[in-house]
Amino acid sequence: MLNVVVEIGCDFTELLRQHQAMVFSIALHFLRDRATAEEVAQEVFFSLHRNLHQIETPLHAAAWLRKVAVQRAIDEGRRRSRKPQLALEDVAEPAAAAVKPSDPLLSELLRKLIATLPEAPRMVMVLRYQEDLDPSEIAAALEMPVATVKSHLQRSLVLLRGKLARRGIGESGWTG
Amino acid sequence: MDWLEDELRRALARQDAPVGFAERVLARGRREPHGARRWLAAAAMVVVAAGAAGAWRQHQGYEAKREMMLALRLAAAPMHRIQLEVKDITQ
Repeated sequence: MLNVVVEIGCDFTELLRQHQAMVFSIALHFLRDRATAEEVAQEVFFSLHRNLHQIETPLHAAAWLRKVAVQRAIDEGRRRSRKPQLALEDVAEPAAAAVKPSDPLLSELLRKLIATLPEAPRMVMVLRYQEDLDPSEIAAALEMPVATVKSHLQRSLVLLRGKLARRGIGESGWTG
Repeated sequence: MDWLEDELRRALARQDAPVGFAERVLARGRREPHGARRWLAAAAMVVVAAGAAGAWRQHQGYEAKREMMLALRLAAAPMHRIQLEVKDITQ
């Protein structure tokens, strides 16, 4: 089994094991396609393999992988943007009365709603709620101003609340 | 904690990579050369090419010198004959 060890101890196999879920999930939640997400994730790790000599610490490796995963996912999203995307109206929705907190149907609806967001706010939401990054960390990963990140977060949350409310889904009783 | 943000964290929680993902990445890594080795190979090719270019220029120089010497000898031959004839005449 390949086991490249760099002088500072960043073992490629170990980095792959530790971060494969993060990289795959960033691609999956952004692209909403498992096969494509795996292709993107493989490319990210292959890029790491080629650039392992640049990695200074395990912490640096995690940040590096996250940033490259974001870039590759966005690039792939742009390549696929010519294909007709699922309109929000076509998204299958759970019956409002059937939705409860922590409902898998609600999770699936939220993922689909996020997939309809434009590229930048969509990735901001993924990094915020998948990776639990704060706005300054998201700004660094996406190379955008912190104020822009905060604006994307705020507007996306307002948008999602509105869409859910129109479907009778919300905090008050969960039946609208 | 805001209910929507709770639900978003739940909806966007990390998912495991597909089964066999790591093995596929490692297998692909074995098929292609390591980044550092590729750089070394490229650098070695540059050195070889530079050395070959220098050797070719040196060869061209030797050839040019050889041709010039031949031309001088050819040019000098008639002059040598003339000198001999003049010597005969004057003796």
